[in-house]
Amino acid sequence: MENKDTKEKLLREFAPQLEKTSSATLIWILFLLGVIGWGVYAFITQVTQGHIVTGMRDNVVWGIYIVNFIFFMGMSYAGAIVSGTLHLFRTEWRKPIIRMAEYLAIISLLIGPGYILLCIGRLDRLYYLALFGRIQSPITWDVIAISTDIFGCLIFLYLSILRDIASLRDFSELKIPAWRKKIYSVLALGYTGTPEQEQRLRRATDIMATMVIAIAIIVYSVLAWIFSVTLQPGWHSTIFGPYFVIAAVYSGTAVLIIAMWVFRKVYHLELHITRKHFVAMGVVMVVLAALFGYFTFSDYLTKWYGSEKNDESLIKILFTEYYWPFIFSNYIGVLIPLLVVGIPKLRTITNISLSAIVVIVALWFNRYLIVIPTLESPYLPIQDSRPEWANYSGTWVEFALMAAGVALFCLLYTLASKFVPVMNVSEMSETPKTESPQIFKAEESLL
Amino acid sequence: MRTENKIKVILFFLLCSCNLVASTQNKKDSVTDITPSITLSYLSSNDTIILTANIFDRKEQGTFAIKNAVIDFSASGDKETKFLGQAIADDEGNAILKVGSANGLPKDKDGKTTYSAKFAGKGKFMPAAESFSAKAGRIIVNFSKQDSLSFIIVTATQIDSKGTIIPIQKQKAIVYVPRLFNLLKIGETELDETGTGKVEYPGKLVGDSLGNITVIARIEENDLFGNLQGRSSISWGIPKQYYLAEKPTRELWTPIAPIWMIITLVIMLTGVWAHYIYAVVQLVKIKQLSKKNQNNQL
Repeated sequence: MENKDTKEKLLREFAPQLEKTSSATLIWILFLLGVIGWGVYAFITQVTQGHIVTGMRDNVVWGIYIVNFIFFMGMSYAGAIVSGTLHLFRTEWRKPIIRMAEYLAIISLLIGPGYILLCIGRLDRLYYLALFGRIQSPITWDVIAISTDIFGCLIFLYLSILRDIASLRDFSELKIPAWRKKIYSVLALGYTGTPEQEQRLRRATDIMATMVIAIAIIVYSVLAWIFSVTLQPGWHSTIFGPYFVIAAVYSGTAVLIIAMWVFRKVYHLELHITRKHFVAMGVVMVVLAALFGYFTFSDYLTKWYGSEKNDESLIKILFTEYYWPFIFSNYIGVLIPLLVVGIPKLRTITNISLSAIVVIVALWFNRYLIVIPTLESPYLPIQDSRPEWANYSGTWVEFALMAAGVALFCLLYTLASKFVPVMNVSEMSETPKTESPQIFKAEESLL
Repeated sequence: MRTENKIKVILFFLLCSCNLVASTQNKKDSVTDITPSITLSYLSSNDTIILTANIFDRKEQGTFAIKNAVIDFSASGDKETKFLGQAIADDEGNAILKVGSANGLPKDKDGKTTYSAKFAGKGKFMPAAESFSAKAGRIIVNFSKQDSLSFIIVTATQIDSKGTIIPIQKQKAIVYVPRLFNLLKIGETELDETGTGKVEYPGKLVGDSLGNITVIARIEENDLFGNLQGRSSISWGIPKQYYLAEKPTRELWTPIAPIWMIITLVIMLTGVWAHYIYAVVQLVKIKQLSKKNQNNQL
């Protein structure tokens, strides 16, 4: 049940975020636009001069673009799984952070597939995929899965923000232009919070929360199968599906912690997002770190013990040429959150946020190590191929487009927070249902 | 500035820039004449002459084939020129003409015939021509067995100015067998005074299902003869065993996916989209309820 006074108080608190854009935010947006502009220039360079301006060649046909695609898609699925799970479990501490997870899901999902388009050499032939695509091809599975996921996440986000949009429409103190009021009015669908409307909305949101979790798991497994159905060393693994899902949720949880830290600072949400929330997300991150470490170890151990020739040579490359990225992504990236959250004295907001940054960088390298070294060790030499073509290193064009993707992610996140509050005002104004003391006790002891 | 004025200013700049681009394009198109280049290659194979002219435009960015260009081929000697025929360049700029035999073609005092490929020019494409001189010759491929060894015998001949057949001497001949994508070199030999050379057949080469294998002998890029080729077949190959898998395992190349895959996909997509539709229907009903409430209030 919503408490009207609490809701109005919260709307009054969040109104300045929606009404005004500070000069610091404006500079931030201009900076992001500048980075995106650099990316556009890089893209024009790539289109006019061809993919020769990238580091990709005959052997290594996938580079940073595919790494970024996997990374962004992972963040999206993490956003979907975290928001869907928190919603279904009705966890009380979810309320201030669930909106951020929903934004994470949809914004990453809009950016990720863009990297596939950058990787394709002949964009003019893209429609061939629709005309001649075959269901037998894992690439077609991916296209179907991602497009289905986009629709699902959009519907879920819309259902989640509907009550807040209706609140903003009805909040007379909000000083925004008439056109924005009109948008809120149209998008609110005449929702006034009658018991029947509320019941229908809750039912639809519950259904979609379940769906986004299921779809996220299926879609990221499909992405993993693109690798694992091939006979390439390092890719042909039966555990790649769950391994990818765990890695995705792990990296996404870390991004969510960073988003919590940033919005807490920028919008002064210290009262709402407390240490308790960071520790709760930290605990989730630790569980995922342990699972990620377990899957990684299991994957490499079986490859190493099997002593298959190509697997052996790949592991040798990982421990020689890629020694530091390998150690960083698979050891430091797992141990740091375990130590920070595991030792009570280290369990501070800053430390948890810093460990989240380590996790993000480690997981990006993890994807890099999955894609590149395997392609650098092909089964057969390609005729007339030069030795330097078998080695990959990203060029400025690829890094510019990577930076542009990150900037676009930040820009859309910023703009989304200017449209609807980054916190679910309607849920936060609800009176919590009475829960059994045992549950509270268990939660307290956990945190 | 009012919104209307803003739109007008933006439209003005858009129109100006479009006009500027269009006029620059027209200017470029009208002044640039293209001078094409032609390369002419000559191959004499088993009494058939194959002339291939490649027409292209060389630019800074690379070479671009000129397709549909009409190429006139002719052969000339000391006294006369004979028109051989016309061919139209394909997508790669290749115009190919096959001439039955070198017999009856005009020759100069050394017995050489000059073959020409000419493009008359069309529109912005300027005329271009290329020629190549070659002496008629012939290569015959025979096979022989000596003890347990098998040999490919290459014999090359030419016709002198008096019309007498004489051997081609002291030239290098290369022997190939055609494989799936290219020719596989199996040996080379120096032709002796009788115009004959010998290459040992390597064995263990896969032929067709009956074991027939084609052998090609060539004198390549020769100043006098151009490309001269002879070919012959023999059943020395290992018969190819055509293996047909009982059931394709992944069927990526078949037009229809396996039935289990189609059923799985249909069930999954139907399940997912049914839930989406359910959620959207709830939204529509929320909207309808609001209208109903408004009407009740009125």
